[in-house]
Amino acid sequence: MMPAGLPFLFYAGAIGLLVIGISGIVLSRNLFRIILALALAEAGANLLLVLAGWHWGGSAPILGQGKALETMVDPVPQALVLTAIVIGVGIQALALALAVRAYRAYGTLDMRRLRNRMNRDIAAAAGIPAESSRDAPAGGRPTPPVPAAHRSGGGRA
Amino acid sequence: MRNLASLLFAGGLAFLLMAIAALLPFGHPPVLAGGAILEQAADQVGAANIVTAVVLGYRGLDTLGEITILFAAAAGLGLVLGRRRAGAPRDPDAGPVLRTGAALMFPLLVLVGFHIILHGHLTPGGGFQGGVILAAAFFLPLLARPGTPVDHPGLSLVEGTAGAVFIVTGLVALLTGGEFLQPLLGTGTLGTLFSAGTLPILYLALGLKVGAELAGLLARLADAETDT
Amino acid sequence: MSQIALTIALPFLAAFLLPVIGRVYEALARVLGPLVLLYCLWLVLQLWGTGDGHPVALAMGGFRPPMGITLYVDRLALLFTLLVSLMTLLLWPWQRAADSRECALTLLLAGSASGLALSGDLFNIYVFYELVSVASFGLVAVHRSGAAFVATLRYLVISGFGTVLALTGIALVYSQTGTLNLAQLAQLAPDLLAGPVGLAGFLFMLLGFGVKGELFPVNTWVPEVYATAPARASALLAGLVSKLSLLVVLRLLVLLYQQEQALQLLLLLGVLGVISGELAAWRARDLKRMLAFSSIGQLGAMFIAFSIPGNAGLLAGLALALHHLLVKPALFLLAAGWPGAVERLRGLARGGPLAAGLFVLLALSLIGVPPLPGFWAKMLLVVGLAGQESGYLLALAVVLGAAVLEASYLFRVVAQLYHRDEEAARPRPYLLDLGSAALAGAVLLSAVPFISPLGDWLAGTAAQAGDREGYIITVFPAAGRPLYSAAGGGKPALAAAGPLPEPKP
Repeated sequence: MMPAGLPFLFYAGAIGLLVIGISGIVLSRNLFRIILALALAEAGANLLLVLAGWHWGGSAPILGQGKALETMVDPVPQALVLTAIVIGVGIQALALALAVRAYRAYGTLDMRRLRNRMNRDIAAAAGIPAESSRDAPAGGRPTPPVPAAHRSGGGRA
Repeated sequence: MRNLASLLFAGGLAFLLMAIAALLPFGHPPVLAGGAILEQAADQVGAANIVTAVVLGYRGLDTLGEITILFAAAAGLGLVLGRRRAGAPRDPDAGPVLRTGAALMFPLLVLVGFHIILHGHLTPGGGFQGGVILAAAFFLPLLARPGTPVDHPGLSLVEGTAGAVFIVTGLVALLTGGEFLQPLLGTGTLGTLFSAGTLPILYLALGLKVGAELAGLLARLADAETDT
Repeated sequence: MSQIALTIALPFLAAFLLPVIGRVYEALARVLGPLVLLYCLWLVLQLWGTGDGHPVALAMGGFRPPMGITLYVDRLALLFTLLVSLMTLLLWPWQRAADSRECALTLLLAGSASGLALSGDLFNIYVFYELVSVASFGLVAVHRSGAAFVATLRYLVISGFGTVLALTGIALVYSQTGTLNLAQLAQLAPDLLAGPVGLAGFLFMLLGFGVKGELFPVNTWVPEVYATAPARASALLAGLVSKLSLLVVLRLLVLLYQQEQALQLLLLLGVLGVISGELAAWRARDLKRMLAFSSIGQLGAMFIAFSIPGNAGLLAGLALALHHLLVKPALFLLAAGWPGAVERLRGLARGGPLAAGLFVLLALSLIGVPPLPGFWAKMLLVVGLAGQESGYLLALAVVLGAAVLEASYLFRVVAQLYHRDEEAARPRPYLLDLGSAALAGAVLLSAVPFISPLGDWLAGTAAQAGDREGYIITVFPAAGRPLYSAAGGGKPALAAAGPLPEPKP
């Protein structure tokens, strides 16, 4: 149904970014990689959105450049993508800030370890003896020590 | 095993998405809303750049939500990172070459930023693009000389007032009998600097707000890096 | 009716100006937020009084749909804007009023939640939904402990994942139809969105917009966030924000996707949500996480209700949602005063009889014990499910089983509260939290004698919300016929659309 060649490449790009991004979010353990994957997936979704208005021989939707209205591409997806990009920037900035604080508090960027430490903290705050967590690192591998300077920056600052 | 599972997952997802994409009317988009906008934007809004007409006119509420998201992100960032402790070590100075370069770039970047903001209704560009350039202009000295003090209260003043100008312009339309965010002041002559009614004013407010917000975000993140 | 846009604009304006005003005149900054919310509340009540109950479509910026963004004001949207103002006012962060950023974020949450309730445009809904997300990230992290940062981070990553999915869904729908206006999409849906592309779009949007609604696979953030966030933020998220997510799903279902596959998918996810949520709540050992998990289960029941075809399902879902919106925040506020494991609640009723009594009342209503409104809401769901085919009967069994589980774990808490043996001197709920919870309890009790008129009114609201034709005609009044034909090669038939509407005097 889809013509081979260039259009196929556009879609492959958008979908490739989406797939790389979503796989990264779901499968990565490193926090920084997850945030990067989020940015990639957002780029893929944006590309898919802007492709929605594309057609062969289209021109930019700007009047007074000697182009006929019929050749101009749909301006709406372009405006939408502008909005979506800014939203993505806001979310990524917050994600990075939270990652900095999480690293300060626990000294690791491994999502699974962060989650274990968090659950232990929540249980401790609730006065429940920490249950032997099922997905704790096998063999009681110790979590890397937090540098003293970091430790003072975390917690209830 | 884990790699195999990842491969299967990604492959399945790609197959699914490609199968769906093959069914899309690609290259022959059904321009319903967009087509109507292309035909009428010149009369209704008067901006030569129709994307600007969509961003500030037809979908002005989206744009309001968008700048508010940046504002919320900045507020959340401030809440998460907290205040920089006095006496925390800073990154070293970047040396005379970069310092001079930053000082030279600053006025040029500001100029380009404002040009892009003010011509957003005529040519590609506008408040967001220009605002990002403004933010870069103010962040550059900070990169070259990490000790440069950042005027956060001043930034938040610009941010707050610029956002208020955007909303108040919309409210004036509402209170004078129109709808919220309706463009005012007529459309003017298509293609000239003083055209498209309130759109250039809105884009100026937007550009300043985006610039101040991004500069504040970057400065806070840079501070966080050295605050140990 | 145009003034309804003020419920979006004024909270935003106040939030923008809060840091500026705070430096000049601090006392004003402290009361500005509550004042603005009070004004919004008054405004909505006034519009409610003057309106004739018919839905109204507002063209933002004065641009006719489908070019501009439409706000659709029906009884349901008005009800939700009212609840948004009311709930944010009740759950205002009074204790930490010193931090202007928290106040600003709460105001942004209120404004964007109103926008989400009113919006009649797919992408605009997405924008406001993201704004609700970003504002809530800051609010749930204010305790600034390591656990709070990690919980918020996981919440953010899952929300970001949802963002990508929702955006992909919107891109698919736009590629297929070329419009974002919900009314126009409703016209085009039977032709263009019934196929696999439309359904894939629905799946993506459902998962994307379901994150805040604690929909089954995208809800793992829930227990951690509610365990680490301040009680008022948890109450806002569990009470209000989750219902707005439900509202988005309701609009999508009613207007765009009435085919069986979409409903079956929602039913499946709802049933899985009920099972996983209630079982986890039953296993939970501290009160906050128990409430968080049970919230997943109850929202699953609402998704099940929406998956019942016809207005009976809408009515049941709305009744469950309103009941949950009243009860769950109050329970979270009570739980804030009782931190820790359930066993440590032993004998607390003696120290705080009012709080314990309220807990019992709210728990009874949540389980669905007869004279209380919760029973009536669950009854609607059970009756709705019983009238359906096989898959729904399975869901019926799950819902009934869930009620038994709910009773079991909530009574475990109550039994500890009224335990006689031990002396208890424990922290009691803050007076303000207790007051808000007491208000919810009072509303719950006073609703008992008025169940049947309330039910009639709610049935009317549900019928209006489920009226697809009504929605289309309200937004495109000139056309009982479709404005655009899908067969016309996608060429806009709108060449004759007039200039801007004359400003109304």
